[in-house]
Amino acid sequence: MPFWLLPTLLVLLFVYGAIGWNVAISFTGWSGLGQPDYTNFTLEMYRQMPADPDFVASLRNTIALLIAFTSVSLVVGLALALLVDRKIRFENTFRTIYLLPMALSFVVTAIFWSWMYASDGLINTMLSGLGLGWFAQDWLGDPRFKLAAVIVALIWQFSGYCMIVYLAGLRGIPNEHYEAARIDGASTLKLYWRVIIPQLRSSTVGATVVLMVFALKAFDFIYVMFGTNPGRSADILAVTMYREAFSASQWAYGAAIAVVLFALALTIIGPYAYTQYKRGAL
Amino acid sequence: MADLQLDSVTKVFVENDGNEITAVEDVSLEIEDGEFLVLVGPSGCGKSTTLRMVAGLETVTDGEIRLDETVVNERKPKDRDIAMVFQSYALYPHMTVRENMSFGLEESTEMPDDEISETVESASEMLDIDALLDRKPDELSGGQQQRVALGRAIVRDPEVFLLDEPLSNLDAKLRAQMRTELQRLQEKLDVATIYVTHDQTEAMTMADKIAILNDGQLQQVGTPLECYHEPANLFVAGFIGEPSMNFFDASRDGDRLVHEQFEYELSDETAAEIGDHDEVVLGVRPEDIEVRSDCEAAHSYETVVDVVEPMGDENNVYLAFDSEREETFVATIDGFQHVEREQSIVARLPEEAIHVFDRESGRALRNRTLDTQTMAEPPM
Amino acid sequence: MATNDDETSTGGTDPRRIALYGVLIALVGVYLSPLYSGLTTSLKTQQAYRETSPLQPPLEGLTIDPWLTAASELAFAMVNSFAMVVPATILSAVFGSLAAYGLTKVDWRGQALLLALFLAAVFIPYQAVLVPLRQFWSIVDISSLHARGELVELTITHIAYGIPICTILFRSYYRTLDDELMEAARLDGASLARIYRKIVLPLSLPMFAVTLIYQFTQVWNDFLFALVLLSDRANYVVTLELNALAGAMATDYGVQMAGAFIAALPTIVVYVLFGEQFAKGQTL
Repeated sequence: MPFWLLPTLLVLLFVYGAIGWNVAISFTGWSGLGQPDYTNFTLEMYRQMPADPDFVASLRNTIALLIAFTSVSLVVGLALALLVDRKIRFENTFRTIYLLPMALSFVVTAIFWSWMYASDGLINTMLSGLGLGWFAQDWLGDPRFKLAAVIVALIWQFSGYCMIVYLAGLRGIPNEHYEAARIDGASTLKLYWRVIIPQLRSSTVGATVVLMVFALKAFDFIYVMFGTNPGRSADILAVTMYREAFSASQWAYGAAIAVVLFALALTIIGPYAYTQYKRGAL
Repeated sequence: MADLQLDSVTKVFVENDGNEITAVEDVSLEIEDGEFLVLVGPSGCGKSTTLRMVAGLETVTDGEIRLDETVVNERKPKDRDIAMVFQSYALYPHMTVRENMSFGLEESTEMPDDEISETVESASEMLDIDALLDRKPDELSGGQQQRVALGRAIVRDPEVFLLDEPLSNLDAKLRAQMRTELQRLQEKLDVATIYVTHDQTEAMTMADKIAILNDGQLQQVGTPLECYHEPANLFVAGFIGEPSMNFFDASRDGDRLVHEQFEYELSDETAAEIGDHDEVVLGVRPEDIEVRSDCEAAHSYETVVDVVEPMGDENNVYLAFDSEREETFVATIDGFQHVEREQSIVARLPEEAIHVFDRESGRALRNRTLDTQTMAEPPM
Repeated sequence: MATNDDETSTGGTDPRRIALYGVLIALVGVYLSPLYSGLTTSLKTQQAYRETSPLQPPLEGLTIDPWLTAASELAFAMVNSFAMVVPATILSAVFGSLAAYGLTKVDWRGQALLLALFLAAVFIPYQAVLVPLRQFWSIVDISSLHARGELVELTITHIAYGIPICTILFRSYYRTLDDELMEAARLDGASLARIYRKIVLPLSLPMFAVTLIYQFTQVWNDFLFALVLLSDRANYVVTLELNALAGAMATDYGVQMAGAFIAALPTIVVYVLFGEQFAKGQTL
């Protein structure tokens, strides 16, 4: 009996114990030095949130990031998978290259893209090289573009993941479906649209969950790129939380923001885990 | 109307390492409108590849495929006006039966929706699946799925019907049932049909014409009875018929064929048919072997019974020439004739029934004399 | 998988195939351009950097100075990272395997619930545990026991948070193992522990490869936990040190790029050598 007790205990303690503890802290008013007061529970931290413009902006950005990043990554990943799945030569090489960004830490990625987005960086240089110099922007300074710049970089990093998820899904579709559809008269576009892509639904769902949960966590990248204060146009809840708790020592408020983040994650994972359990895939 | 012709069709596959594999070699076939042709042969003989070339799913290396005198080698599958039933049915799992059946019409014709609906419904009635129209494939049994696959093909009203081993996934009873249904269906629709199978029973029972393939090469084309009674070569003779024809290696010695364990006298006629060929194979079908009690008639041999397989209506009796029972051959006798293991009986191989093949080339030199009698109709 | 001959019936090469390869190669350019131009930048002198476009290779003004600078700055942090990552990876994989064995091959109630908890644990945002984590380690103050105590705390943290994903990975693998193997061993009188050691563990080696590779990448690339738990600069792992370096060398892109490559080198090497296992870890 005991040998898997240790890992299970570790998980229960560090994960669920910690989450519970965090919720408890969020009900205190703890800030600065000293210890939290667990005897006096209050909802004050949560009441502060809607009134805090930074929080509201951060929440908005988080959701925008979530939606834009997930949807575009899926589309790009699907496109890559469809291109790669055509019995091409050097298929492994192509796949390896598209998936490579996933092996890099976000610190590394942030450093590369910080440089790429600099006023004299690669992006602007290439734009002027293509005669589109007028399009060059201060991508990381201009509040209109900061979040979008981040999203593009994150898509670069994650589309490879979507690609391999979809490749696995495509490999599950028997050849005969393609052949039957061709005999039935479907054009290539219709073939993919009506026959192949609908069968990729479970791949899409799985990848969506992973991507969304990742977007909620995308702390590393933004922190390295902008520091603890990315400004209201690029602040996301993960960064806000860190700033409040660790920079401003507003521990309880930070904990509360973390609870909001956790709740958001639950709304994404919960339904998914439930349907998987029902299907016996668990 | 729809005449399908394969003219010296060849398919060569080139592998990654440059190896060439000839899957189909120089096959020529003709299928008339309304005709049911069965392409039969063992696994790997090239029958599926041939079918797929007709469908347009494989390119043709050499030769022509003509539909109604027009060469269609370059035409895409959807422009060939054919419909195909796949071995695995290939039903779209995310669509209902109705949607599966409508798909082809939606994609390849300009038919208005209500017409499509009507067509789908009448086809489903024909196949007795109209109650299942709103179900998804994974809710159906194997037999039902197969009907849906058929329905999807019928609905297109094609010039040519292609079926790739459609019954192989069904259990034996269902298979027998579907055989008759398919035959009826094909007659009703009156469409040129190519049916691929490895099961010679299906070939015999369903086909207007059989084409037998082995190793990519066409062995014989003919009606089932022709192939049965007048096989063109050793392969066909051994492939068609269950239990298989018995083969004996023999050498010609004057007016006799000499086998290790027996000698067979030849009449002048037979000897003439055999001609110069010295190394031959003597073939005789199990049902043509007579079991007797005495050795008086010509070509009778003493044998020992090895194994008896009672089939109910018949007995398959495995006989050997000596008590060592090393080499056995099969005789099919009436089910009421009682025979036991180790019993000695006399087996007669009548000359009218023997086939003789050249041992090296396999070609048939002599086939049994055919005497089919047409039953007279009863007087009114 | 889609079927497509590379040739048309006439034997020529289909122009659509050429277009396909064209697109694929263009995409390779898109995906590798950050890395490529980062590499060229890291090999240029400041002057060459100012004068040439990032896409140009350093034909003139080639220098490895940025790499030397970055390497000397990052060396200690690389050592810290290794010292932390190796035990963390191995132990979380081992624990994951044990937990998966217990949750799959042995029948007891509550199994499904525990599994669900493990699965959910893979997806939680770590922000939800940061504050308690800081509290916990200030109470269980290993860092005060030894100069490197902080790294021990970080290692334990990574083990704990790595167990869920390792468990899930092993579990999906163990489900494919034949129950009868273990039942036969039970009949032969083997205890659960023996069965694990003698039968399950040897059979798990392929999955260990996948898990070790996945965890190595995750832990080496981690930034958040290190940020929260490491206050002593001497204990910095390479992700933290790289961030500090980038801040300090804000205008010297060459050094930043070189540093980024050095920091990424282990995971890139692992990825290139073990790409198959890496991909498997992502899709499970």
